[in-house]
Amino acid sequence: MSTLNIGGSQIDTSWFLLLSAVLFILGTTGVLVRRNPLVILISIELMMNAANLALVAFSRQLQNMDGQLFALMSMTVAAAEAVVGLAILVDIFRTRDAEDVDDLSELRG
Amino acid sequence: MAIAVFFVAAAMAVLGGIGVISFHQPIRSVLSLVVVMLALSVEFLLLSAQFVFAVQIIVYAGAVMVLFLFVIALLGPARELGRGRLRFQAWLSGLFVLVLLGLMWAMLQGVQYRQPDSKADMSLFGTVQAIGVGLFTTYLYPFELTSILLLVAAIGAIYLSRKRIDDL
Repeated sequence: MSTLNIGGSQIDTSWFLLLSAVLFILGTTGVLVRRNPLVILISIELMMNAANLALVAFSRQLQNMDGQLFALMSMTVAAAEAVVGLAILVDIFRTRDAEDVDDLSELRG
Repeated sequence: MAIAVFFVAAAMAVLGGIGVISFHQPIRSVLSLVVVMLALSVEFLLLSAQFVFAVQIIVYAGAVMVLFLFVIALLGPARELGRGRLRFQAWLSGLFVLVLLGLMWAMLQGVQYRQPDSKADMSLFGTVQAIGVGLFTTYLYPFELTSILLLVAAIGAIYLSRKRIDDL
C-alpha cells in the first residue's frame, strides 16, 4: 500500500520514515547528552533535517507538492534559527569561555 | 539499483548522525553533519524532489554549515570536559531515546497510507516549475513572511555581535 515506484524498483515509504525517525532520535540524543552548546545546536539541525526527510517522503507518497514546499520553508526557518543561535553563542563565548551549558544556567549576559 | 542507492545513502546518513553526537571535537561534528546532509540530498533525489535536492546542497550544506564552520574557526577549538553534574545523565538519556524509538516504530506500524494514483501526471512533480507555481500562487504569503523572517534574523545577528564599549 505504501510502495513507491522509484527508478524501476519498489521502495516503501516506511523505509524513508524509519530513516527519518532514526536520525531524529540521534539528534535528540545529542541534545540530551552533549554539553557543548555548539554541538547541541548541531544536533538540533540534525533533527530538522530528519523532519525534512519525512516531509518530502510523504510528499512523494501523496503526490502533492505541499510537502516539498513545507520542507523549503523549514530550511529557511532552520537557517534563520542557526544564525541567531550562533550569534548568541559567539556573544556568550566573548565574555566567558563556556564549554558546558550547565555553566550558562543563569539568565545573565 | 534504486534500493542499493537508498541503502548506501541511508547508511551514510546514520553513520554521519552517530558521528555528530559522538565526536568530542565540534569541528568533526559539523563535518559529520555535512555528510548527513549530502546523504539526505540523495534521498530527496530518490523521492523525485529535484529542487529540494539542489537547495539542500547549495543552501543547507553549502551556507548554513559553512556558517557553523566560521563560528568554530572564530571560537577556536573547544573540548568537552569530563562528566557533568548529572552522572547518570548519559544512561537516562539512552533509556529515554530507546523508549522514543520504540514509540516511533509503533506509530509507523499504524500509519494508513493512501494508495498512490498510478495514472496521475507526475512528469512535473518536484521540478522547478512545480515549486514556482506553488511558491508564488498558493503559498505566496508564507514566502513573503520568510523574507521578513530572514531580515529579522540578519538584524538580530548584527545587533548581537555589535562591539560593546563597556561591559553590558
